[in-house]
Amino acid sequence: MNRKEKFKQANREANATWLALLIVIFFWCVAGFGLADVKVEFFQTPLWVWAGCIGTWLFAIVVSVVLANCIFKDMDLDDKEDEING
Amino acid sequence: MGNFFHLWPVLLFLAFMLGVSFWVQRASRGDRQQNFAKDYFIGGRSLGGFVLAMTTVATYSSVSTFVGGPGMAWAIGYGWLYMAIVQVVVIFLVLGIFGKKIAMVSRKIDAVTVVDVIRSRYQSDLLANISALVIVAFFCATMVAQFVGAAKLFEAVTGFSYVTGLTLFGLIVVFYTTVGGFKGVAITDAICAVAMIIGLFILFFSMLETGGGYEKIMTHIQTNHPDMLEPLSRGKMPISLYISQWLLVGVCTLALPQSVVRGISYKNTKALHNAMIIGTVVIGAMTLIATWIGVLSKGVLTDTLQAYGGSVDNITPLTIIGTMDPFWAGITIIGPIAATISTVSSLLLASSSAIIKDVYMHECSKRHKTVSNNTIRLFSMGATVILGLGVYFIAIAPPSVIWKINMFAFGGLETAFFWVLIFGLFWKKANRTGAVFAMAGGVLAYCTTMALQIKFFDLHQIVIGIGASLIFFLIGNALGKEHDEHILRIFFPEKYSD
Repeated sequence: MNRKEKFKQANREANATWLALLIVIFFWCVAGFGLADVKVEFFQTPLWVWAGCIGTWLFAIVVSVVLANCIFKDMDLDDKEDEING
Repeated sequence: MGNFFHLWPVLLFLAFMLGVSFWVQRASRGDRQQNFAKDYFIGGRSLGGFVLAMTTVATYSSVSTFVGGPGMAWAIGYGWLYMAIVQVVVIFLVLGIFGKKIAMVSRKIDAVTVVDVIRSRYQSDLLANISALVIVAFFCATMVAQFVGAAKLFEAVTGFSYVTGLTLFGLIVVFYTTVGGFKGVAITDAICAVAMIIGLFILFFSMLETGGGYEKIMTHIQTNHPDMLEPLSRGKMPISLYISQWLLVGVCTLALPQSVVRGISYKNTKALHNAMIIGTVVIGAMTLIATWIGVLSKGVLTDTLQAYGGSVDNITPLTIIGTMDPFWAGITIIGPIAATISTVSSLLLASSSAIIKDVYMHECSKRHKTVSNNTIRLFSMGATVILGLGVYFIAIAPPSVIWKINMFAFGGLETAFFWVLIFGLFWKKANRTGAVFAMAGGVLAYCTTMALQIKFFDLHQIVIGIGASLIFFLIGNALGKEHDEHILRIFFPEKYSD
């Protein structure tokens, strides 16, 4: 990647991170507020607590794994190429 | 007066932190002789993924992770846990959005601090000096508050006096930060994060045992406090609070300079990618366990708030004392102390870098005055130790104005840097006038509305701060003019075709 491509890639990654934030917020809303009236319990604890709290945590981990492994690309952070080419 | 025997775990832990810092100092002797500021303030850009993740999490998690948060959860219930968990996004946000770009830019311009990057992008000494001032003022107030919180907890749990605790960990953290520099801070932060998790686990299980098991505690809550099982907690957790918290402790934290600077410090992209995952796992686990302890302590501390001294801050120390013997309490207290010193160390170093690197060294280079590496070394370490001792002395008997500044600090920092950093790195047309307007106007709007308790639709003042800052930016931007191409090429090479 040259410097231009690296910056384009960094922009893509930043946009993907914003999108990931929206997805986590959506999950958090549905898993917590969305399930707040469901009368299902595990260990005397309502379903929305498991889904909205522990679920959101696990979901955020999955999101960060997808970001880091599928969207983010390895690149050399130094600008060697430009130095050589002037 | 407490039993000296129970202090041993804390003393050993603090001695270990000191040892690590001296080891770091020895190991980086060569680098520091070459370029002191670069090694001291950013660790020579050498952090790996694990340390990067842990130092970002440890800087972010503070004494309130252990005290304020669980105390509120005791009063409110699972709604507070549901709100606290929004913090799982903070690590991947700051590293994912700023991490790569700021790393590439700072390598190109040889930046060591966030203010370096801001100065170079907006070509403005005024903006850089306001940034340094905002950082030093808000960081110092936060450090005092951290010290006070931890020293109070220390007193309540160990029986030793407030000043004893403060002196013990306060002086040691100042000392090891001065010696170890950024790399020392990062590595001790990583150890602190591990200590926090261990402390939380001990507390979690000892509390379950005292309460007669998870289901017994939950049965007690179901019977006596059914409101604690609802997300809105029968009106105690309004939707507006959830929205406010998503902004205040979620999205807007991405601009906190103490977090953003970590984007300059890592070694390679692999480290960044790993840190995003590790950081998300760890911050979520910490938030969950700490806040959950608070909810479940309702089954152990069954009386009213008045019976516990009328403050939710007393819940955590009472849980520690009430559920374990002094030996284990002496080990568990390492957790909140680790949370405190890992936050203070990062803020202290960022403050001294603002004074020495961003103001002093820049002034010298502007006047074409060469400063020797040794002078920089002396001044950097001197500024760190003097600032640190100043914070320590203020924390012995903090004046009330410190609490006001501290209350404004978190949101004030977010307001100051949010648009300046986002637009600076992602919007080519953003210019100096816009940035100065946004930082000065935003912080002013935020602090004024905080002081006067003015709210917008019952939302936290961060909404006003961020909103006002955006409007100021756009107005200022329309008045100013775009920067020179040779600057913009550094930040936006992709926008030029040749």
